[in-house]
Amino acid sequence: MPEYKGMAQPVKATVEDLKKLRLVPVPDEKKVEEAIRLLDEARKKFRSFVLAMESCVKCGLCAENCHAYLGTRDPHNIPTNRAELIRKVYKRYFTLEGRWFGKLVGAEDLTLDTLEQWYSYFYQCTECRRCGSVCPFGIDTCEVTMIARQILYWLGMVPKLHVGGGWGIERVGNQTNVAKPAIVDTLEFLSEEIKDEFGVDVRFPVDEEADILYVPSSADYMLNPYTLMGAAMFFTYIGAKWTIPSFMSEAGNFGLLFDQRHLMRHLFMRLHDSAVNLGVKKIVWGECGHGWRAWKMYLPYFVDRPLRWEITHLHDEVAYYIRTNQLKLDPTRNSQPVTLHDPCNYVRACSPAGPYGHTENMRTIIRAVTVDFREMYPNREKNFCCGGGSAVLFDDPEMYQKRIQFSQTKADQIRATGVGKDGNGILCAPCSICKAQFYPMVEEHELGVTVHGLIDLVGKALVWK
Amino acid sequence: MASINVNGVEIEIDEDGFIQDPDKWNEDVAKFLAKGEGVEEMGDDHWKVVNYLRDYYLKFQIAPMIRKLCKETGFSLKYIYELFPSGPAKGACKIAGLPKPTGCV
Repeated sequence: MPEYKGMAQPVKATVEDLKKLRLVPVPDEKKVEEAIRLLDEARKKFRSFVLAMESCVKCGLCAENCHAYLGTRDPHNIPTNRAELIRKVYKRYFTLEGRWFGKLVGAEDLTLDTLEQWYSYFYQCTECRRCGSVCPFGIDTCEVTMIARQILYWLGMVPKLHVGGGWGIERVGNQTNVAKPAIVDTLEFLSEEIKDEFGVDVRFPVDEEADILYVPSSADYMLNPYTLMGAAMFFTYIGAKWTIPSFMSEAGNFGLLFDQRHLMRHLFMRLHDSAVNLGVKKIVWGECGHGWRAWKMYLPYFVDRPLRWEITHLHDEVAYYIRTNQLKLDPTRNSQPVTLHDPCNYVRACSPAGPYGHTENMRTIIRAVTVDFREMYPNREKNFCCGGGSAVLFDDPEMYQKRIQFSQTKADQIRATGVGKDGNGILCAPCSICKAQFYPMVEEHELGVTVHGLIDLVGKALVWK
Repeated sequence: MASINVNGVEIEIDEDGFIQDPDKWNEDVAKFLAKGEGVEEMGDDHWKVVNYLRDYYLKFQIAPMIRKLCKETGFSLKYIYELFPSGPAKGACKIAGLPKPTGCV
């Protein structure tokens, strides 16, 4: 089933799936021609792509820095080799030596098989950018993956999982397909849970006029109750007038991962319109790595109108309140050993450096709300991916096995901290994709930890008057 | 598209075995799907989970938060995994005729 000539592939979206996004797949006999045309368009538009195509000297530094290669030892998962799947085609059609000397200079005709190879390997890259951060030439292979995935999508080759999320975005404003009645029902349930567990009255205002627009990840409505609870408890504690928008109910943005041109912008405008309609002064982002990258780094350039609001991450807000001593916290309520997984998109893709940047802010928070915090190594911007980045969260057997391999390096890092030695450790992974990847992976690798967000731990540590 | 035949009725399923038209679901369909998820016999506790998921879905067009499922059925997540070895989302939801979960789950 999801395999093509020995290559593992995620289950593809069907023609009917694609129709929901009004995408007509290109027929097989025209795919090659169309792919070359789109590649030509991409190289004229993106200098980052041309840099990746023309500058690599094959020094190989990226190999041992990629969790996908370390976990699978599949040579095509070496970042430069992955890019080579496109580079050989680029050479063939867009360089003089490739046109004249072909295979002699490593140029190759594009075929349907090559496209299937792209589909397999560009969905084994998690867009974590660790290879980009070590490349002496600054080649960011993530950019190559993004272009490959965009072209594949336009051809009609895209995972069912991603298209399902895309359809949810257009239909109800989030990838999980949670419409407003279910959002309200879930949040009312969590209000009761907070009352039962913490003895405080906390409301979740939805679509109310407010100062702060809080955008949680929609996966939180299914899997991460304490992330929603922690955020609501924090906003209530500081006395904020806040609300959750139901029209734009997604901190993530699958558009970034396969369709930046349309889907990513679609959600941007939903955010813009929600902010206008609810009259907010500030937008605060929930725990989602790839989404935060889309909103922080892409939004200002892609949205159709000038932005009038400050957009900050919830972690930056909480860290500010901790530094200014405005929160009373009892770290002994999180007394288990805890380690922090840095989501790649926070620490490598969103200008997070400096003492008050996102990377250090996460540490300011975790030190204030836990008693036994142990760093894993390497960490911060050198951290390894969870192995599920860019929603490589496929559960068909072949791809699920890959996910186990992709998370091997991370599992080794976590084990080395010793937090799970007695079976009661906490793995703090403040990003929805990381959480969704880790829930099964900590079991597969028998790590002795439970998975939590960072704001989850804040909610538990808050001391109420 | 693939399909299953339950009591002479053809029902379309996707690549992962989730039925495509939730209206075609009935208890016999559930029993049929259960066998593919490692549930040989649907006992009372299985039905309690499946019926809760089904009712919630008919009302809200989505599965409930897992914590809510546990609370409302009175079952721990561990016990739900014992009932449905492939888990609440991909096992129990499939048997209850819900569509496959999507997004970061």
